[in-house]
Amino acid sequence: MLQLSAITKTFRLAKRRKTTTGAIDPRERGRTFYALDGIDLEIPSGGVLGLLGQNGAGKTTLLRILSTSLKPSSGVVLCDGEDLTKNPLEIRRRIGFVSGNTGLYGRLTAREMLLYYGRLHGMQAAALRERIDELSATLDMEAFLDRRNETFSSGMRQKVSIARALIHDPDILLFDELTTGLDVAAAESVLAVVEMCRERNKTVLFSTHHMDEVDQLCDRVAILHAGRLCFEGDAAGMRQQTGESFLDKAFLNIIKAEPGEVAA
Amino acid sequence: MRGGVTTVFFKEMRDILRDRKTLLLMIVLPILVVPLLLNSLISFVMEQQKEAETEVLEYVIFGEEHAPDLAKAFAETKRFKKTTIESQEELVAAIRSDEIDFGIVIPEKAASRLEEKSQATVELHYDNASSGSRVESRVEDVVDEYNEELTKARLIELGVTSSRKRRAVLEPVHLAEKGTGDIREVLGDNVGGMLPYFFIAFCFMGVVYPAIHLGAGEKERGTLETLLLAPIPRHQIVLGKFLAVFSGGIIAVLLNIASLGTWIAIKAGQLRGTLGTMIGSIGWLDLTLLALMLVPVAAMFASLLLSVSIYARNSPEASSLISPFGIVMIVPAVLAMLPGVELNWFWASIPITNISIAMKELVKGTMDYTMLLAIFGSSTLIAGLLLFFCTKWFNRETVLFRM
Repeated sequence: MLQLSAITKTFRLAKRRKTTTGAIDPRERGRTFYALDGIDLEIPSGGVLGLLGQNGAGKTTLLRILSTSLKPSSGVVLCDGEDLTKNPLEIRRRIGFVSGNTGLYGRLTAREMLLYYGRLHGMQAAALRERIDELSATLDMEAFLDRRNETFSSGMRQKVSIARALIHDPDILLFDELTTGLDVAAAESVLAVVEMCRERNKTVLFSTHHMDEVDQLCDRVAILHAGRLCFEGDAAGMRQQTGESFLDKAFLNIIKAEPGEVAA
Repeated sequence: MRGGVTTVFFKEMRDILRDRKTLLLMIVLPILVVPLLLNSLISFVMEQQKEAETEVLEYVIFGEEHAPDLAKAFAETKRFKKTTIESQEELVAAIRSDEIDFGIVIPEKAASRLEEKSQATVELHYDNASSGSRVESRVEDVVDEYNEELTKARLIELGVTSSRKRRAVLEPVHLAEKGTGDIREVLGDNVGGMLPYFFIAFCFMGVVYPAIHLGAGEKERGTLETLLLAPIPRHQIVLGKFLAVFSGGIIAVLLNIASLGTWIAIKAGQLRGTLGTMIGSIGWLDLTLLALMLVPVAAMFASLLLSVSIYARNSPEASSLISPFGIVMIVPAVLAMLPGVELNWFWASIPITNISIAMKELVKGTMDYTMLLAIFGSSTLIAGLLLFFCTKWFNRETVLFRM
């Protein structure tokens, strides 16, 4: 279980910025920008949590904190009772992260890249080879496993990224806008991986802008707006709270009720 | 512990060795540039010498009748060709348009001055803005010879007949120079100061692209974030990257020196005279010591440029941040060429300058080998501090996720 208590993440600003309407962003207090402001959230083991929010809402910052690449400015994140910041190396062994702008090493082949990350995770050669074979079969990567990453399409790149995140068989998966920029077929095969992770009882945090994906995959939903958590529940709860049958309208109604700018 | 460093190192080496631009700067250029440059330089010098021996200088002379003996001396000088222009007013224009190489103007009063055994003045007009011009020295040779004859005649008239007495009158104290430096030292002092530029520049070039690719390049590609999630301490990532960047500099330097050594081995037998003697006196031990001294330099460059690169948001920003270092690193190398800067305990502690002085001493063959320890010690200490800084730098969110 992941438990977030009063998580705040601030960044120092070089200068004050204005929002699109010309007003000062309410998350700016002096030269400090509150990317996340007092997030309390419990994520039980197993199942898919959809993390929703507009661009700049704080989703990526939250996922980065959970992945240990960023440290919270205040608050505590516990992973099965263990403080994330105290022993990040141990937590990293349990986490797989694919961010929206995850890149690949263009001059390496997909296999070389998977071998690299497997070795970094301390995997033994035989187990690593076996795991690569398994993942390439699951993600339908055999045809391009020994080609250089720089030659890949967006869909192929995303598959390699996912395989990279799964190479050490983590039990917590953080997927940040996994299907952005993918065509329908590629998005479908990528989403099948999320489905597979749920079936294997992995804990998945899945940030997305696509409400159909929320309907299709997410057991629970958390909505961030302007760095604050403004909804926690499930898709049915979103509909019930807003009286909207369409999930995107329900989402918009929820964030409009919150302080902070809503993008057009 | 070691596994993380070697895993990162071998991956980074594989990555950078697949880049053509890196291969060009790290392998091809260091091998080719030294022999090409030295061959061109020697050919140029030889060509210049040959030209100096065979070049015919065309001149005009005005007022010939005022000093006919001097005019005759010019006319009889080999590879001087007398020509004419319409008037003395056109003299400057004729020189500027390369119609003639120089003009001699003998004023009317020169005749009476010479007659009276006084000093006459003769004007030499030539293009003194041309750096390659040898007009002045060749004309001076003619005038000196003419003066010598006149002086001899005048001294005989004054009763100074023997050549020994003439020398005593003209030069009461003669300074006999007895230089203790052998030919290797003399030439090494002039040429040896230039060598560090080559090696330091190639070391820098070998480090630049790997540093940009492995630092800012990781951010640009979006691979840094996933690498940071590997369950190994950050300092292991930095060390692995540092070793790969450092290897880039070392490979460039070793190839550079091996190329120089091969060139020396071939050319020492072919070149005659002092140049051949000097080149032949540089041995493989000297070259090995040169390579060893560049090890801490490569480490300094690798740590420094990796720190700069990881700070940059992307490769173009890294390139523009790193570019000034290419100029800055020349300053300490230039210090080594200043008069009075010699290898002592003070200069041995100044990074890059110490290596530059030591390289000069090695080429001259006057190296004080006890200083090597000081040079290695100070350079390694600075490289270590820079690496420590790089590791700390790599742990800062504001650097890694700079917006």
